[in-house]
Amino acid sequence: MSFQRACALSELPETGAVGVEIAGVPVAVVRTGGEVFALHDVCSHEEVPLSEGEVYDHTVECWLHGSCFDLRTGKPTGPPASKPVVTYPVQIDGDDVLVDVS
Amino acid sequence: MPAVETAAVSRLHEQQSFNVADFPIPGGREEDWRFTPLRRLRKLHTDESLGDGKVSVDVADAAPGVTVERTEHGDPRLGSAYVPADRVSARAFASFGEATVLTVAAGTESTQPTWIAVRGEGADGAAFGHTLIDVQPNAHAVVVLEYTGSASYADNVELVVGEGAALTLVSLQTWAEDAVHLSHHHAQLGKDARLAHTAVTLGGSVVRLAPSVRYAAPGGDADLRGLYFADAGQHLEHRLFVDHAQPNCRSRVTYRGALQGDDAHAVWIGDVIIRAEATGTDTYEYNRNLVLTDGTRVDSVPNLEILTGEVLGAGHASASGRLEDQHLFYLMARGIPLAEAKKLVIRGFFGQLISQIEVVELRDRITAAVEAELA
Repeated sequence: MSFQRACALSELPETGAVGVEIAGVPVAVVRTGGEVFALHDVCSHEEVPLSEGEVYDHTVECWLHGSCFDLRTGKPTGPPASKPVVTYPVQIDGDDVLVDVS
Repeated sequence: MPAVETAAVSRLHEQQSFNVADFPIPGGREEDWRFTPLRRLRKLHTDESLGDGKVSVDVADAAPGVTVERTEHGDPRLGSAYVPADRVSARAFASFGEATVLTVAAGTESTQPTWIAVRGEGADGAAFGHTLIDVQPNAHAVVVLEYTGSASYADNVELVVGEGAALTLVSLQTWAEDAVHLSHHHAQLGKDARLAHTAVTLGGSVVRLAPSVRYAAPGGDADLRGLYFADAGQHLEHRLFVDHAQPNCRSRVTYRGALQGDDAHAVWIGDVIIRAEATGTDTYEYNRNLVLTDGTRVDSVPNLEILTGEVLGAGHASASGRLEDQHLFYLMARGIPLAEAKKLVIRGFFGQLISQIEVVELRDRITAAVEAELA
């Protein structure tokens, strides 16, 4: 377990995502409803960064084909994606968002 | 003046250039890059300078009538038949240090294979290469190209097959599991020239091989075959392109692959253009994929663009699926255990392709390598 700084909390929009890279792993850091989540930043269907998608209903939408991924579980709520994306634990330390990708 | 004006619909194969800057850095959404994991290409597609990787090219004993030379940029023969068709290919052409040129003298007939051994000494840093095989008129030659070791490697293989000549090329991608390899094999076929090209891709982390054929005169015949086996995490991509720009040419593309393990990914793109002047064309493209476990992914896309009605035949077929239960049942009903039955069916699936490989000593080796994948 090793939490590493992903970004500043203030960099995150109230509802939306930021794409970062931690130890070579692309991570989408998502804030919605005052909570912060972290998911693997590549759609499980094609090579698309999820952090470029819209956030709503506790999901992030892949902009290319419209599959939405649940922020808590990483599971897609609809096709064409069928496999979940990996989710990562998040800690908030002051203004820092820490994510554990190990 | 034709009654109906026909314009090529696809723009996919129009851009060709020796200048790397003519190709924008791919972002991943482009039609010719959308299946390739750019993140894993070790920046070969970018404009960042990369450390010097070490890849050696050795030609051990050339067959009689085959001359081997090492040349550098400026040799007018290099790039005479092939103009790079994507960014990595252009970069490989601009960056290679030494090119290997095989010349098969006119009229030579030899069934003894000439082996070109390309060996990577490490995946750190990038290496670039260029190989030209010039088969002069009425010569027959057999060449085996074997890639081994670990490397981050981009190269172009230029095949010039002269009038009435025949070239058999077997390209073995038996890389170590961390290798990244992007390669173009382009053949230019003269009048009545024949090409038998076989790609066997078993190793490597990411392999993207693009064999293409252009006919310079009528009567050419190209047989492009391939066999691949993607294991967990492997990305094996084959992008075929046959450009029928001359009348009365024939092409056959036959690729078979199997996949097993999480995130095993196979991509097969089979593009054919039959231009308006290419009457009497006979072409067929065929791809089969055997999905052995969950968690794999196959993308198989044949594209056929026909701009004349006067063809002999033009078709394509692609199917990806699991082992058929009935085949297994047939064998198991005769007392063969499930594991053995699976192996037999897979052996049969690849067997026809392997038995067509002209280099007999390779057949057993490839069969054994496929069986080792199943072990």
